Amino acid sequence: MAKISELLANLEMDELMEVVQKELAAGTDPIGILKECEAGMVKVGEMFSSGDYFVSDLMMSGEMFKEVGEMLAPYLDGKTGDILAKVVLGTVEGDIHDIGKDLVYVMLKSGGFEVIDVGVDAKPEVFVKALKESGAPILALSCLLTTAYDSISNTVKAVEEAGLRDRVKIIIGGGPTDESVVRYTGADAFGDDAQSAVRLCKEML
Amino acid sequence: MASKLYDERAQKIKDTVNFKNESVTTCFMGQAAPAAHMGVKMKDFALNPDIMIKMTLDYINEINAITSVDCLNTGVNGMRSDHSLPMAWLSKVKMPGIELPDDSLWQVVETSIFKPEDYDVIIEQGFDTVFNRIFPQLVNMKEFQESIAYQEENGQKNVELFINNDFPSVNSGVASPPFEVLCGGRSMSQFFMDCYKIPDKIEKAIEVMLPGSIHSMLASVNPVSGSGAWVGGWRGASALVSPKIWNRLVWPGMKAMGLALIENNDIATFHLDQCWDRDIERFLEIPEKKSIINTDGMTDLRKARKILGEHVAIMGDVPAPLLATGTTQEVKDYVTKLIDDIGPKGLFVTAGCDAPANTKFENMVAMFQAANDWK
Repeated sequence: MAKISELLANLEMDELMEVVQKELAAGTDPIGILKECEAGMVKVGEMFSSGDYFVSDLMMSGEMFKEVGEMLAPYLDGKTGDILAKVVLGTVEGDIHDIGKDLVYVMLKSGGFEVIDVGVDAKPEVFVKALKESGAPILALSCLLTTAYDSISNTVKAVEEAGLRDRVKIIIGGGPTDESVVRYTGADAFGDDAQSAVRLCKEML
Repeated sequence: MASKLYDERAQKIKDTVNFKNESVTTCFMGQAAPAAHMGVKMKDFALNPDIMIKMTLDYINEINAITSVDCLNTGVNGMRSDHSLPMAWLSKVKMPGIELPDDSLWQVVETSIFKPEDYDVIIEQGFDTVFNRIFPQLVNMKEFQESIAYQEENGQKNVELFINNDFPSVNSGVASPPFEVLCGGRSMSQFFMDCYKIPDKIEKAIEVMLPGSIHSMLASVNPVSGSGAWVGGWRGASALVSPKIWNRLVWPGMKAMGLALIENNDIATFHLDQCWDRDIERFLEIPEKKSIINTDGMTDLRKARKILGEHVAIMGDVPAPLLATGTTQEVKDYVTKLIDDIGPKGLFVTAGCDAPANTKFENMVAMFQAANDWK
C-alpha cells in the first residue's frame, strides 16, 4: 500500500492506476487507498515547498489524485476520509481566471479539506451565502487582476456585515497578491502558491 | 524627420543593451494604465484604436512633462487585445463593453480549444491547418479584418506620432514561442498533463512550428518603430514547469527565436512573467550584449545581475501591487534600491510585466523620477 503514495509522489501515472486497480480487485479498503493518495500528495507538497517540484508537478499530481478518486468513487459509496475543515473558495467579482483557484482546490482537497468552490467572477453575496450554508471557518479568495483588489475588499466587508467575520478567516492568493494587498483589503493572510494555501488553512484551524 | 532628442533616446536604447548607457533608461509599459487617468471608459479605450493611441500618447506626455520617459517597451499600434492575443495564445479574449462590463479589463478565457489529435495534424500537415480551423472560433473575423485594414491604413501614421513626440520603442514585435501557443490553445492544466504523458509528440509539433514562428516574428519587427521583439516567456516560466519539461520543450524554442532576432540585428527581449531564478544562467547562452530580460518583480534581479553580469540587459521590474496600492515613497524606495543593488548600466526601469489598469498616476511618475534622480 505504501507503494501507492510513492507512485503518486513520483508522478508515475500509469503504474499508479494499475496498482490501485489491483488493490481494489483484491478487496482493499478504498478509504485506505484514499489515505495513501493523500499521503502521496503531502510528499508532493513537501517537494514543492523545498523547490524540488514545480507548478506543473502539482498539476500532474492533482490530476492523478483526481483520476484515482474517480476510480474509487463506485467503491466508496458516499464515504469520505477524515475531513479537517470546510473551505469556501472562489475567484472574486470582475475576475474570470480559474487556473490558480482550481489548483488550490485540488491541493486543499487532497490535503484533507472539504472545498466549496463557488467559481469565478463571484459576487460578495455568493461567498457569504456559501459560508452561511456550509459553516466553513475559512474563506479563500483568488484574483489575478490588480483591479480585483476592491472586489476582495468588498467581499471582506460583506462577510463582516453578515456577522461572520469573527468565525471566518480570510486568505487570498493569485499573481498580484502580497502582504500589502492583505493590508489593503482587510484579509488575514496571503499565500504565494497552492501549497501555501494548504499550510495557511491548517494554521488557521 | 526625427528630432535630435528622438535620436538620442533611440541611441540610449542601443547603449543600454550594450551596457554603455551613462544613466538609467526609463521605459514606459502600461497597456491599460492610461484609460482611468485620462477619464476614458475601458471599453472605449480597448475597442477604439484611435482613442487608445491618443490617450496613451497624452498619458506618456503628461509623465514626460514631469520627468523624462526615454522610451517605450513596445510600440502602441491600437490593435485590439481580442484580435492580437488569440494569435499569440490561441485563446479567446473577453472584452469590456462586449462580454465584460464597460470598465473591466480584457481577460483571457481558459478553454481547451486545441484537441489532443491536433498535435498529429500539426506534425503531418503543419501548424497553419490547425490555426486556420481554430482562429475563426476565437475572434470575430469581420472585426478582425477591419483591425487589419486599420493597421494597413494607419500603422505608419501612428508610428510617426510617437516619433514626432520623441518616444522611440525598444520593440515593435511580440512573438509567442510554440510552447506558449500550444499551452494557450490546449489550456494550461491539459497542456501540462500532455507534457508528462506525450512529450515526444509535443516536441515534434514544436519542431514543426518553430520555423514559422521565427518567420512571423522577424516579419513583425519594424525597425522604424522599434528594432526588437518580445520572445514571450509566460507559462514556460521556471517556477511553473519542471526542469525536464523546461529543458526539452520551453528553452530550445525561446533560444532559437532569440538567436534569430540577434542574427537579424534586432534586440531579443525575453519577456519573462513569474520567477525564472532556477534557469537564469541559461541566458548566458545568448550572445553577449544583444538581449534583454524583461521581468515582472518575481525574478530575483540581484541574483540575475550577479550571474549574468554585463551579458544581458535588464528591464524591470516595479511590481504591479506596488504601482496599484503603494505610496510614491514606497515606489521611489523600490526603484532606488534596485539601482543601488544592480547598477544603472544595462538597466531599463519600467513596470514589472505591465503597469496595471489601476496604477496610480503619481506612482508611475515616482517610478521614473526615482530612476532619473538616481545618482
